[in-house]
Amino acid sequence: MLEVLGRFRHRRFRRDLSAYVDDMLSERARRRLEAHLDSCEACRQELAELRDTVEVLGSLPMAEAPRSFTLAAAPVAEVRPRPAARRLEFGLRLATATAAFALAMVMIGDFAGLPGGGEEEEEVWGELFSAAQGTPAAMEAAPVETPEPSVPGITDVPGISDVERLAPAVGADVSEEEPAEKEALEGAEVEEEAEADAAEAPAVAEEEEGGGLSREEVVRWLEIGLGASVGVLVVVWAFARFQRSIGNRP
Amino acid sequence: MTIADEGQLVRSSRKGDLDAFNTLVQAYQRQVYNLCLRMLDPALAEDAAQETFITAYRRLSSFRGGNFRAWLLRIAANICCDELRRHRSRPAASLDAALEAGSPADVPSQLAGPEEEALRSELGRHLQQGLATLPAEQRLVIILRDIHGLSYEELKEALGCSLGTVKSRIARGRARMREYLMARRELLPRQFRHKE
Repeated sequence: MLEVLGRFRHRRFRRDLSAYVDDMLSERARRRLEAHLDSCEACRQELAELRDTVEVLGSLPMAEAPRSFTLAAAPVAEVRPRPAARRLEFGLRLATATAAFALAMVMIGDFAGLPGGGEEEEEVWGELFSAAQGTPAAMEAAPVETPEPSVPGITDVPGISDVERLAPAVGADVSEEEPAEKEALEGAEVEEEAEADAAEAPAVAEEEEGGGLSREEVVRWLEIGLGASVGVLVVVWAFARFQRSIGNRP
Repeated sequence: MTIADEGQLVRSSRKGDLDAFNTLVQAYQRQVYNLCLRMLDPALAEDAAQETFITAYRRLSSFRGGNFRAWLLRIAANICCDELRRHRSRPAASLDAALEAGSPADVPSQLAGPEEEALRSELGRHLQQGLATLPAEQRLVIILRDIHGLSYEELKEALGCSLGTVKSRIARGRARMREYLMARRELLPRQFRHKE
């Protein structure tokens, strides 16, 4: 143990030898090192060799410049990063942080929301998806939690708009979780019809509105989009920062 | 080498006085060229030195006072490091050129005579090769400290790092150079050989 400690201290003193040669050690460190040197032949030898090395290096001659480097004419002024570029960098950082935060929130919400599926939660998700899709059609298709469209027969009721009839496509799997709706389905034929409707509806929705996605798909695409945005923003921000760091060098 | 009215020359240069800047160039061109020569091949050193002064003139507005020599050497160091990255080159025979062009006033007086001259030339070559084995950051700090004689404070400015980093790089660079030289002890001048 003492031997290990001794070796450790020896290594530390060896590191100080260079600064000792230049008289750059603190008074306390210098006294400690000198006390160690009194008892350590290896360090004394190394110190002497280090001094020789410094002396030999210092004896290297300086070459004369092969020509004059004076400037015949003033060089064109360099284009330095402008305040606008700095603002752009700040904007990029802000956008990256915002996108990363949004991604984190979506992912947390996704994980937290999967096992639940309460009515209140569904409403929140519905609003979120509508906002994320951002199209008027999507806004109208948002009330996925409405239980009525899941009943197959209701889609044939005159007076109900196409969008309202297509709503089951968005909330097809959600509606299956509702016990009340399950009770409403009586008999195998009705169930078959429901399945047929549910299967046809997405195709119609995609054809007519181009955005009839399930909740999971929306969340997945939102995550992919945000993840890609964060990635791109980080790369652009790093590039802008690199450019500025080059500009900052003297 | 420093010049007495350096501050005034820098101020005039910043206002576009090219003659004032050229006076600074003449004062420091030898140091800048030698740094480039030890970091790069001789063929690249000249261009790097010229680029240093062009860059310095363009960026005078970013000089915030302090040590002008350290600021200038920092520009030269950055250009050399960029050049090294670009060409992945290692100095091989730059000391030959250095020794050929060396000023007699810089050569230690005790190293006279043909035999000593030959030994000095050989030692110089090996020193340059030893320097070439160091990582660029250690080579740079050894050149600036042990060959150019910059103080630790100047090194902080020239390298843009903390005092602790400067000390650490010097210690590691010197340790490597010591090992390199002690393995070639027979090349050392007499005053060093007697300690064998």
